[in-house]
Amino acid sequence: MNAMYDMNEKHKDLFVRKSSRTAASYLRRIRELSDDIKSLSPFLDVLKKVYADFEPVHNDNDILIGTLCAMIPNELIYAAGAKPVRLCSGSYTAYSIGDEAVPRDACPLTKAVMGFVETGTSPVYNNCALMAVPVTCDCKKKLAGLLSEYMPTAVLQIPSDKVSDDGLNRYLEELYRFLQELESVTGKTVTRQSLWEGINKVGRAQYEMSRFTEYRKHTPALLYGTHTMAVMNAYSYMLADEWADLMAELNTELEERKRKNIFAEKEKNPRIMVTGSPIAFPNMKIPLLIEETGGILAADETCMGERGIYDPTVITDKSFEGMMRALANRYIRPCTCPVFSDNRQRLFRIKQMIITHQIEGVIYHVLRGCLVYDYEYTIIEEELEKLDIPVIRVESDYNEEDVEQLRVRIEAFIELIKLKNLKNSKKG
Amino acid sequence: MKADKIRRIIVWVLCILLTEGAFFAKDFVLYDFHLLVSDYTYEESSAEKPLYADTSFWFSYGEDRAVQYGFDDNISYDDIELYAKTETEVLHVSDEDEYPFSQEFIGCLIAAVPPRTQTINGEEKTVYDFARADFGPHTFELTPRAFNSADIAFELAFEKRNKIQVFYKNEALQNQELTVTGSDGSEHTYTTDLNGYIEDFPIKYIRNGFTAAYSPDDTSIYRMSYALEDYPYFTTHFYKAHLPLLVMLLITAVCIVCLCIIRNIYEKKKSPLYLSGKRSAKSASGSYNTSGSKFLLIRWLFLMFGFFWWTYAGKLLSSGQLLNTVAVPVFSCPFNLDQVLESSCYYLTHLPYLFTRNIFYVISFLVTLFLFLIFGGRILCGFMCPLGFIQDLTDKLRSVLHIKPIYVNERMNKALQPLKWVWVILFLCIFFAGVDFCDICPNKVFSSAFGGFWVNQALCGFLTIAVLVCSFFIKRFWCIICPMGYLLGFFHKFNLFKLKKDCSACTECGACYESCSMRLKNIYTERENENVQTIDCLMCGECIDKCP
Repeated sequence: MNAMYDMNEKHKDLFVRKSSRTAASYLRRIRELSDDIKSLSPFLDVLKKVYADFEPVHNDNDILIGTLCAMIPNELIYAAGAKPVRLCSGSYTAYSIGDEAVPRDACPLTKAVMGFVETGTSPVYNNCALMAVPVTCDCKKKLAGLLSEYMPTAVLQIPSDKVSDDGLNRYLEELYRFLQELESVTGKTVTRQSLWEGINKVGRAQYEMSRFTEYRKHTPALLYGTHTMAVMNAYSYMLADEWADLMAELNTELEERKRKNIFAEKEKNPRIMVTGSPIAFPNMKIPLLIEETGGILAADETCMGERGIYDPTVITDKSFEGMMRALANRYIRPCTCPVFSDNRQRLFRIKQMIITHQIEGVIYHVLRGCLVYDYEYTIIEEELEKLDIPVIRVESDYNEEDVEQLRVRIEAFIELIKLKNLKNSKKG
Repeated sequence: MKADKIRRIIVWVLCILLTEGAFFAKDFVLYDFHLLVSDYTYEESSAEKPLYADTSFWFSYGEDRAVQYGFDDNISYDDIELYAKTETEVLHVSDEDEYPFSQEFIGCLIAAVPPRTQTINGEEKTVYDFARADFGPHTFELTPRAFNSADIAFELAFEKRNKIQVFYKNEALQNQELTVTGSDGSEHTYTTDLNGYIEDFPIKYIRNGFTAAYSPDDTSIYRMSYALEDYPYFTTHFYKAHLPLLVMLLITAVCIVCLCIIRNIYEKKKSPLYLSGKRSAKSASGSYNTSGSKFLLIRWLFLMFGFFWWTYAGKLLSSGQLLNTVAVPVFSCPFNLDQVLESSCYYLTHLPYLFTRNIFYVISFLVTLFLFLIFGGRILCGFMCPLGFIQDLTDKLRSVLHIKPIYVNERMNKALQPLKWVWVILFLCIFFAGVDFCDICPNKVFSSAFGGFWVNQALCGFLTIAVLVCSFFIKRFWCIICPMGYLLGFFHKFNLFKLKKDCSACTECGACYESCSMRLKNIYTERENENVQTIDCLMCGECIDKCP
């Protein structure tokens, strides 16, 4: 970190105070929503540690690898003896700092990441030995270049075509290259054994996630979607096995609540799905607005949510090459990120989730400047119209300025669904 | 795209080589059993005769011995005339030159006793007794080996797997009844056809020995006891039958090791990224449970059973085939004469032979074939095929050794298609070009070896090695180009068993595509149509097992 952003201690202090205030206020709002589920608080504590207290979450001698997006195989990082942290951030304060380094129209997520990197205030960012940046969208591409001025950066090319065998092979090669960079950082060789262990470690988290997904499908909802988003965000800063342990606890508690018929909502509220740009902590305004105005966030199709952890790595062949291939397959093929040119798969996924999670309305979230998601809005709107599912597109930025406007729109949307349901029940 | 072109050219060159090679298949000798008649010894024994030997004496063969047994008191050794057949003539074997057998003999001996008068069922009859035995290297060859000698008045000749031709006074015996006594004492009456043939003669009679009796008139009776050299299990002969297989396995192993080394060198040169050699040196002992599915277990059991069925079962369970009219279309070799059921590949590759059989056989063959084709389809490949079992074994071996496979992608699969077509054409048509498909068939060695038959391996041996090596690196390689499988898959729309996909639960994670032995992509991409079965699907269930 040689080219540190010119900032004196006083400014830094101000920055830390300001951003921890925002984070704390969001955490408070999340807790205020409901505080019933006991096993949720460890997840919130982790978020508090990172964003409000600015404390490191790992041990000092851990080698941290910072990742962005949902396409970096954490398994590989564990196998190399390092620990992954996912640095996709939603900090408003960091955003305003990063705004100066990144063009105005770039996405707020990159700005927030740049903000943290430039100020050097967050220990989670500072402790990273290597940044792994996949070239997904244009913003990430440029971000990789900017980051390399501050810290060692590994760039992974993501093929824009995932269905063909060539695409997979290209990504496989990228993974091999990434593997070497990892090894040179940690000084350890990835063996078949360690890769196997890494896959199992993440596999446990994936297993707990799939259990958790089943509970999310329950109507009436067992827990608030905002809480789910917080849990997913906590995964970014936790080790897979720790997270899986806590998740197992959460799952047992949910199972119990399901048996005792304790639900998060008193009456059945409109079940909303959020899809589109990532919802990273502390930018939790959309889920919070949905649930504060009487909806329930029953599903999300975003990379900070289910998409990141749901699919397991399936090893069809136990050789080293076979496992690497399984990883490449798992991180490319099921991923519905719109950076792939042919992404009809996402449409299928959304339709499928509408059925399994009994969704009544879709909120299409676009962060300002997130072009790839915006591209896919039209086709999804068209298709959902055929299914008679209302959709709205909400654009937001990393600040509090648009909250009121969003609140009005989301409230109206939820009222619309309620009205529609009322009409339907009268007809029926 | 350049690699694509090269691949296509390689495949076409292989196709041409294959077709060219097929015509000279017999000349590429990999393993020849140097079994000579002169290696046999001749013995005379006075042990008690078995049940079927109505005649006063008979031969038995095995363990490189020809034993002549059971003289009753009326005949002495000196009365017996021994005849042996060479390629061109019939020789009278006299005492001076009979032992050891001459090299010219092709392994057919007939012994004749001077006519005697015996009382049979209260009637005085002149009895003409003969004993015949076929042994040695040419036992199961398809050429007729009738003696047609004036000295032998009554003769039985074994021909084409389950035909017996009967000669009387040097002429084919037409439309006459023969009484046949089997080794178990059972009696049957058979009628010869216009060419003197008895069709569908039970092979268990042939293997265990029998006696056929014919009386042209009330006063005389002609009898011949027939013995074919049997290859019983767990004898040296049986073990020796595995030799060509062993040789092939050795060559295969050497090839695989060489290929691994070449690949390592090549990859090190190409880029330092692939360092699998270094990594795979350490052993992994994790227990990531990927194959616990019941379905796969059932499939393995079926495969093992199928393998046993096509190889050992015939000999161990019954002596010979149970039902030789049921033909199951799998790649299993009829060179193993002891399969419990017949495999239809022989008659499919030798279509004209099929129509020389009697009409009942042809109908039953076609009916069973089509029943299996329509209702079974390629499920037979996944569950029954012995060659499929062997390929699954090689793949398991590879994964146990943690050697990295070669991934066949869709494009490579497409490039291999011409090879499949060439195989289909060879499979159905090569007989008309005067070549025996069995000489290029990569499965010949397995069932014949396990069945304990000495079968010489020509070009097919090299092809077996190629298939073994390829299927070591590429899962179920042969199935991609298997002509029989292609024919089986033809009716996949009508099959009883279908592969269906729950499109509403799919996340397109691609695990099914990665695990598919045949590299079928539609299982992964299909989102609207439930039925994902195609002509190439083996119904092996790997995709179902791997689906999260």
